[in-house]
Formats: sequence, structure tokens, C-alpha cells
Amino acid sequence: MRLFDKIKQKKISPKTVVIGLDGVPYSELLTRLIEKGRLKNMASLFGQGYFGRMEVCIPEISSVSWTSFMTGDQSGEHGIYGFMDLMPETYKMYFPNFLGLQKRTMFDELGSMGKRSVVINLPSTYPARQIPGVLVSGFVAIDLKKAVYPSSLAPELQTMGYAVDIDTRRGREDHDYLLQDLDATLKSRQNLADLLWERENWDLFMVVITGTDRINHFMWDAYADSGHARHADFIEYYEKVDSFIGSMYDKFINLPGSSEGINHFMMLSDHGFTKIRSEVYLNKWLQENGFLFFNQDPPASLEDIAPESRAFALDPSRIYINTKDRYPGGSVAKDDVEKVKNEIRSGLEELTFEDGSPVLRKILDRDEVFHGPFTRQGPDLVLLSHHGFDLKGRINSKSIFGLSGLTGMHTQDDAFFFSDKGKRVETIFELKELILKDYS
Amino acid sequence: MDLDYLSPEEREMLMALTLEQKIIQSKKVIRTALEKFGPKKLAVAWTGGKDSTLMLWLYRQVCNELGITIPACMFIDEGDQFEEIEDLVDRVKKEWNIPLVVVKNTDISSKAGAVGDIIIVNDLNERNRREIELLDFKDKTFPFEPESYLCNHLMKTVVMNKFIEDNELQAVSTAIRWDEQDARSHEEYFSPRHNPIPEHTRVHPILHFKERDIWDATFKYNIPFCTLYYKGYRSLGVKSNTSKSSNLPAWEQDLENSSERSGRGQDKEEIMSKLRDLGYM
Repeated sequence: MRLFDKIKQKKISPKTVVIGLDGVPYSELLTRLIEKGRLKNMASLFGQGYFGRMEVCIPEISSVSWTSFMTGDQSGEHGIYGFMDLMPETYKMYFPNFLGLQKRTMFDELGSMGKRSVVINLPSTYPARQIPGVLVSGFVAIDLKKAVYPSSLAPELQTMGYAVDIDTRRGREDHDYLLQDLDATLKSRQNLADLLWERENWDLFMVVITGTDRINHFMWDAYADSGHARHADFIEYYEKVDSFIGSMYDKFINLPGSSEGINHFMMLSDHGFTKIRSEVYLNKWLQENGFLFFNQDPPASLEDIAPESRAFALDPSRIYINTKDRYPGGSVAKDDVEKVKNEIRSGLEELTFEDGSPVLRKILDRDEVFHGPFTRQGPDLVLLSHHGFDLKGRINSKSIFGLSGLTGMHTQDDAFFFSDKGKRVETIFELKELILKDYS
Repeated sequence: MDLDYLSPEEREMLMALTLEQKIIQSKKVIRTALEKFGPKKLAVAWTGGKDSTLMLWLYRQVCNELGITIPACMFIDEGDQFEEIEDLVDRVKKEWNIPLVVVKNTDISSKAGAVGDIIIVNDLNERNRREIELLDFKDKTFPFEPESYLCNHLMKTVVMNKFIEDNELQAVSTAIRWDEQDARSHEEYFSPRHNPIPEHTRVHPILHFKERDIWDATFKYNIPFCTLYYKGYRSLGVKSNTSKSSNLPAWEQDLENSSERSGRGQDKEEIMSKLRDLGYM
């Protein structure tokens, strides 16, 4: 009783812990493995709060999705439409990065309330900039020195052997190596989380596991087929992730205020995953249907686009009309944009795989999906495929359909969310507000 | 109020002050900086833009009050300046008797007559070659484009770092403001800078000014400003690349983010290869 009295006197300020599991699907993986009695920590945890399916942004890729998470908004408001984008009025690719993010993140908002965040391995936060607290950037952070705020932490991370990501080049080919590397990366993530948990003063603690997305891309076939030689290895990795979550939850429950329901423990993924039936190369479709031409074959980049082109695609599912007012080699007049869009729409509606399965679930107009100051930078059309058809913006493929060695692909409608307080959300856009609400 | 650390409430309060109170606060920061570093170990970064010209005016006021000479004013010539900015700088220098130091990477600019000219890496001096190597830039030539990652680094960051090193400066004063963009909303009046630039302190005396305050002060105290503002420019950068999508003077944006920005191009290939491994591109 004494302890409780003391807590009441001190008036504990709430703490939030968020664990992100990049690319972990709700129905295609978590509920299945839990039913099978694997993932014991998550099974018991998910039994005591809200655990459900969550929809994410379009396109359903990590850079857009995590940015939507931290800003609480869609691309028209935050300006991030993909890992790459075109520089305005050119066909030159650039990487929109964290320094260019125009919308305030939840970490900035918390800072305005005098709250500090510790953020580890959140994708799309590279290069690290000043946040009120500590930031260790996630994918695509290629230089640790530029991935850490405050920068004084960088030498320590180097000494610890902290790894931002696995060696995807080697891991993609060599699955023995991949599994070792995933293991080592998970351990280094845990070490850093343990260190900062104890040492920093924080109000929000967030760590994202990205190895889940990597193993899903490279080894989904091993998961989907229980007879696969690597099936057990795949599940074993997920059990290690489950142990990590168990250890984080143990720490959480021992925080002052957790047993009184003052603190909040949440988990989420940024998109789901499913098995690839075929990749779909949208630019090849546009070429075969007379919308896109290149000055050389094969084209080296989009800069080889021929002026008579009426449309082109960017990864993974963004279609842009090659308008005169937007691109140096644009051919479509403003008044003809709707007509070209309609032609593409009716063409794509008919697109079927070799067995007759329809490829696309939705063909969406820019204004249906995006709104806000950066809407005009967005694609004219954005597509959602049926599970199994992985849309790609590649420009040099020989056919519309094909495979490239990856076996898993993202899904937009099968991410997950968990709240130990039983808070329910339907979409990733709601999380910023939910998290901030605990502090107001 | 402590000048070293400000709570969110204090920041809000400072931004809500009247113009006269804001000027008093800025002068307090400047006086503290001059006491802490001395006028010889501190330089004022002047771009010829409205914000840094106001800051310069404030330094001049404080130095007059203290009866000391004004610290060195560093103007970085990126090789693609608006003539209107040069005119303003010349005029103010004469009128206010400013100890102006124009710094420029002449090794680069002497080899490029115009934007777009090709520069051969082997023709450059050792310092520039070393900086290029550090950026992991492998080509034998590059075009002179002041806002490209490589030129930006060579023409601004390297030049400023060298100026800090050569003069053993402990502090550089810049005219950034909290209301410009989120990345600046957590800056302090005294913000230490470490890697990869020489260790020094950035002094930010006008953090609490809003864009409107700058203009109010400029007109009220009859502070000179560049004629380009008349023509509708809200912020000024280099000639070939003045972006209107941002309300932020391009030069100051680069000053803050120069190390990251200079890294962008270098990272591109590596980022692309990582994305390719995951099926993008």
C-alpha cells in the first residue's frame, strides 16, 4: 500500500512503448502462428488487449507507411510517395529523405509538450535530424554516423557493433548467412534498446524490427510450405522476435504506473505480406499498350523516355501522366489528362494473369487517395493489386509478368495493431493522435 | 531566463513578445556571446538576406554600446551570386563600416566560368581533392552546379570550415529562426556543433523572430535590404537555383544541413542497390 501511496503522491506521467514489426501480417502470419501455439509471448499479450487487422497507406511500402505513422497523415499532407521520386519538372530520380519531411512528427509534437522520445530503427528517418530525445534511423540508413541523433552516440554504437540492417545483397542469395545475419541484427537491436531504456529519460520508447520484412521477402516460400527445408528456420526467427517482445513487455510491466494502466504498450506493422504469384511490370504494360516509349532499348533510366510518351510508372504502383506542364518531355495537354487516365484505367481493368485471374483490385484517382498541399506531386493514378500480384515500376523488363527471386510481397489490408489498453484503430493514420492523446 | 536551455513554454513566450522586447532579448544573446567567446573568436555569417542583415544590425548596436569593434563578418561567395545581393553587401559594408571577409573556393571557381562548366578533379588542389575523396565521389570530372551535393559541399561547407579552422573560431553566429521549419524548432540560442565540421558553437540571436517581425524591424529601423525582395522573392539563394517552394533562405538551409545534403548524392548508388535487393527499382 505504501508503494501505491507514493506513486499517487508523485503523480506518474504516462509512458508509451511502441514495438514496430516491419511487414508482419495479421491474418497471414500472426493469427496462424499463434493458433499453432507458436509465439507464446505475443499469444498471451494479445489475449489481454485489442489485437486486430489494420489498413495502411497506398502505396503500401515502408517509407510511406512509417511516415504516415509518425505524421498521422497521408502523402498529400506529408509529401512522401515512395522510396524514390522525381525531382520536380524532371525525370531525375531522388530520394526524398527525413530532412525534407514537411509535416511535424509525433516526436516533434511530444517535444512541444516537453516529452522526450527514444526512437530506434524507424524506417524513413534518415539522415537523423534533431528530435527531442534520441533517434537511431532505420532503413535506408547507410552511414551510421549520419543515422544518429545526438551524434555523440555514434561512436558508442560503432563500438557495440550496432547494425542498421542486414546485408541484403548477400542474404538474398545465401539463406544460411541471412539467418545468421538476422539473428545478429536482432541481438544488436535488443542490446541498444536495453541500453537506452535504462540510460535515457524518455516518455515514448519506440523500436522497430525490420528483419521480419527481410525474411518475408526472401523466404516467404519457406513459411508458406510446411514441407520446405527452411520452414522451421523461418518459424524459429519469428520465435526469437517473440522473445524480444517478451523481454520488452517484462520491462514495460515493471515501469511505475504500468500496473495501474497509466502506461500504454502498443505494437504494429506497417504493411502485411503474402506469397508472390507474379511480379507485374507496369511500364512494360504501358509500353505494350502504346502509352510509353523509350529512346533506347533497353532504357538506362526514365530519362530515356521518348517525348511521345503519355504515361509512365514509378515503384511500386504509381502511374503518372506525361503532361506538358509537368515534365520537360511531356506530350499530354492539360485538357487531355482525364482522357488518357480513362484509357489507362479501362486497359488495366482488363489485365489478367496467364490463368485468367484479374490482377488489379482498385485503380484509384489521385484525388480519391491524396489531399493536402503536396497532392500535386502525387501520381495521377495509384493501383492496388489482388494478393499475389506484386506491382513494380521497373523499366527494363522483357514481359509484363515475371519473377525476380523474391517470394513474398506487401499487402495493404493485412497489417496489425495491438494495444494493451484495448484501444482500437482501423488505419495507420490514427496512431499519432492515439499516442499523443495519452499525454494530453 | 536561462539562455542555454529553453522549455517549450519559454519558447512560446519569447515568440509572442513585442518587437522591442524581441530586440532586447536578441541583444542579450549577442552580449552573452561576445562575453563568452570574445569578438575575435566569433564570426557573424552574413548572406545579404533580410534575416542576417537584421542580425548584423543588432551586432552593430551592441558593439557600439559596449565600445568594441564588430566581429568579422563572413560572406560566402558561392560563385553564382545575384548582382542585387552583391550591391546590397557593398552598400551596407560601406555605410556601416563592416569588417567583411568574403570567402570563396577560388580553386574551384577559377576553373569554372559559368554554371554547368566541367571541372577536372585532377586539376584541383589537395584540399579539394581530399574533400572529394571523402565524399566517395569517383568520377574524374563534375559539372559546376552550386546546388549540387558536391559543389554545395565544396563551395559552402568546406569554405566555412576552413574559415573556422584558419581563424581558430569558437563560434559562428547565424540568423536562423524557430518559425522557419520544424528542423529548427528545437535549436537553442547556443547550439554546439561537432562532427564532421570543426567543433564550434552556433549562436542564434534572432531565433524568436517571426518572418513578419523581420520586416517590421527592417522598416521601423530603416535597415537596408536587397532589391530582389521588391520583386516578390521571399527568400534568396544562388541565382541558378532559388526555390520558391520554401520560405527558407536557401543559403541558410544549406548551412544547417550541409553535411547531410553533401552526402545525398554520394549515398544514392548505395541506397539504390539496397532498394534493388528488396525488389524496388
